Amino acid sequence: MKAVELRNVTKVYKTKYYEVVALRNVNLEVELGEFIAVMGPSGSGKSTLLNLVGCLDKPTKGEVIIKGKRTIDLSDRELTKLRRDEIGFIFQQYNLVPTLTVEENIELPMVFKGVSKEMRERRVKELAEKLGIYDLLERKPAELSGGQQQRVAIARALANKPSILLCDEPTGNLDSKSGEMVMEAIREMNEEGVTVILVTHDETLKRYAERIVKLRDGMIVDVSPDGS
Amino acid sequence: MYLQMALRNLGRAKVRSILAAIGVIIGVTAIASIGIFGESLKNAVLENFKDLANEVIISPSRTHGYTVIDERTLMKIEKAPYIAEIIPVKSAAAEITSKKRTISTVYGLDEDDAREMFKAESGRISFNGRCVVGKMLAEALELRVGSKIYVNGKLFKVSAILEAEGARFDINPNYAVIISQEDFDKIFGDGYDMIIVKVKSIEDVSKFKEYVESSVNYKEKVVDVFEMKSILERIEKAFAQINLFLMAIAGVSLLVAGVSILNVMLMSTIERTKEIGILRAIGAQRSDVLKIFLYEALILGVFGSVIGACLSFVAGYGITSLIVGKTEYVFSLSSALYAFFGLFFGIFTALISGLYPAYRASKLDPIVALRFE
Ligand SMILES: Nc1ncnc2c1ncn2[C@@H]1O[C@H](COP(=O)(O)OP(=O)(O)OP(=O)(O)O)[C@@H](O)[C@H]1O
Ligand SMILES: [Mg+2]
Repeated sequence: MKAVELRNVTKVYKTKYYEVVALRNVNLEVELGEFIAVMGPSGSGKSTLLNLVGCLDKPTKGEVIIKGKRTIDLSDRELTKLRRDEIGFIFQQYNLVPTLTVEENIELPMVFKGVSKEMRERRVKELAEKLGIYDLLERKPAELSGGQQQRVAIARALANKPSILLCDEPTGNLDSKSGEMVMEAIREMNEEGVTVILVTHDETLKRYAERIVKLRDGMIVDVSPDGS
Repeated sequence: MYLQMALRNLGRAKVRSILAAIGVIIGVTAIASIGIFGESLKNAVLENFKDLANEVIISPSRTHGYTVIDERTLMKIEKAPYIAEIIPVKSAAAEITSKKRTISTVYGLDEDDAREMFKAESGRISFNGRCVVGKMLAEALELRVGSKIYVNGKLFKVSAILEAEGARFDINPNYAVIISQEDFDKIFGDGYDMIIVKVKSIEDVSKFKEYVESSVNYKEKVVDVFEMKSILERIEKAFAQINLFLMAIAGVSLLVAGVSILNVMLMSTIERTKEIGILRAIGAQRSDVLKIFLYEALILGVFGSVIGACLSFVAGYGITSLIVGKTEYVFSLSSALYAFFGLFFGIFTALISGLYPAYRASKLDPIVALRFE
């Protein structure tokens, strides 16, 4: 079984006045445990691709298959369940819930899953230690640096032990040092078997990936193994 | 956790949340305190009629051709065991003449009964060729103690003028002449037109009624038995309706509170669109989002309603002491019931108002929500 398969995927955004073809006939397979980077200029469809893989959206044409399941066949409820249990999101803007503490933010996906309080606390501890944010658990997101927030976001993404980690420019708002720490954390998770799809502009991140997918105008123009 | 999230979100927009809760407080207080006031008013009014509840009025069954109750029937009724007091009454309309002339009611009463039932404003109640006149009739005919009047041509001297009476259901003396039963018989003939019976306790009312039915009415319906209790029941019902109407008016303020919660929650869902997108992306079902927002409405509702319910006792006490004057009924079970009713309605309103914003939040498309800034 592949982690992710895209077959002839086309995504068209329709607004009142115009149509945008964000993805055009994209085919892509990602193996379990693989680390791939998706690169390309702004507007090339990187985020769109990630949203489709992340079960936040369905393709206009073609099919997206996540761990053997065709997303077009699934209801909103089933898609949400897939997101909750199999997929972790990391966003450029961290997207932590501002009213909740770090600990509660990390707990949240487990709350949605119905995990017991005791189990949640154990998992939070485990992740916090791994990501070096143990001392921050009681704080609110606004009291953290960007790099700290992003590591909390990684912990949250991993809370339910997903098999796929989707990162949309996770280092985009970070200085190079915190960016590196975040990338190291992601690499570590990948080494533990999590499939990683990383969207980035940053050429220097190429070295983390096993494969690089280049997008332009919604089409894959090049797939190359890590050159560096 | 959802509860905590809801609490903190309310805390994030404190002023707004407090204002919305104040709306609920006012609404609940208005409804419950008016309910409490109405109940106190009803009790205070009914208290005036308390004696009436034991009263039964027996009248000739006109539908069966009886225009009077005869002496034999009266004697049968007098034998009933439940009676505390029995007053046979004769009444008729007659032409009254003094300097002026009018038609009015004439009652034939036993002198002792009359003394017990009425108070003289001037003079002394005594019959025996004399009569007693009600306040309004006395004014209309310009009568004083000692004046002479003719009842259907027969001369009487006024021995007393009665105090004006409030509303009564049995005998209304205000516009009447009262004479002795012997004099009445001479003018109008035998028989009684009404028997007023007071039974010993309210439970005896129906027993007494049964007794009359089986001892007097066994062959044919000779008399009609009317329980004053039924009038009280009707008064009570009328009060309940008025109360409901007043509470409905107060309910408008709760409606306004509902709209304000709706507004607060709608603003909150719009401001938190992005957050909703995040929650959905990390695995929150629509029902989870719905719950989080409904909790907020519920908290506003419970908070406002509990305070409102407590305040309603204070407000109810205030209005009641201002308008009714008697506050002994304010702290009673029925008041607690009204407070509870207000509480329930407040929470219910808050939930209903929260439903639409919560539903809207849960229906947001996660990608659209995530892109929202
Ligand atoms: N919800 C939407 N409605 C309309 N058009 C959209 C929507 N989302 C994306 N697009 C359009 O689809 C195209 C691809 O967008 P996408 O966000 O995937 O680009 P991207 O590669 O992630 O760009 P960037 O590097 O700037 O984030 C763009 O032209 C964008 O304007
Ligand atoms: Mg993008």
